[in-house]
Amino acid sequence: MSYQEKKTIVSILTGLLILTTYCFYAYGKYQSGVVAMDDLMFWARTMLLFIAISIVATIVIQIVFNILLSIMIAIQEKASGCESDDKEIEKTIETEMVTDEMDRLIELKSMRIGFFFAGIGFVIALIAVVLDYSAAVMIQIIFISFHIGSLLEAITQLYFYRKGIKHG
Amino acid sequence: MAKKLQIKNNIRRFRFFANEMTQKQLAEKVGASRQTIVAIEAGKYSPSLELAFRIADAFGVEIGEVFSYEMSDKDK
Repeated sequence: MSYQEKKTIVSILTGLLILTTYCFYAYGKYQSGVVAMDDLMFWARTMLLFIAISIVATIVIQIVFNILLSIMIAIQEKASGCESDDKEIEKTIETEMVTDEMDRLIELKSMRIGFFFAGIGFVIALIAVVLDYSAAVMIQIIFISFHIGSLLEAITQLYFYRKGIKHG
Repeated sequence: MAKKLQIKNNIRRFRFFANEMTQKQLAEKVGASRQTIVAIEAGKYSPSLELAFRIADAFGVEIGEVFSYEMSDKDK
């Protein structure tokens, strides 16, 4: 499995973890009756908090993942028996982690799918308002659909890495 | 209707004749990731013209010797 595939799996797991935590926290509070569905201030505050958590968690987890992967590659190189000096190991790590044209193409194509899903979520949110649901329901749908869109983007990336990708 | 075009390559053969050059070494030479070289070799990814020239240059041959195409009868 390549570095990009591992990175994508880590990002899927991070996204799932954050979405699950949000659902447990926010809907747990709603179910226990601490907040009402109409309390827009609470939902907006919670979503902003989770967006911030999501950004920080993604950065931290990716840094930790890169460090761990570099250590693993170095150990593998040493264990392989060949006379690998530090420069050789550094070169191997760089070759594994380089982002090239295929990565960029996969990123662009999967991003399109992610945004398409988020767009559908936005339309559903507007329809919900037309059907007389509250504004809080609308922002819930938008927030969740953006998160699922982002997950879908990562899953699509993984699919393209596995199955290959064509231009056009 | 345009016919379906399939790009083929001889990278594996050229690597063999280049003293069994590894995919990692080729990736380093052309500035791509090993994953991309694996995908190109397996026919899962068609490289850009620039990368195709770089690969040919790494083996010291013309681009047409490394990459070729085949038109299939199936219409797009």
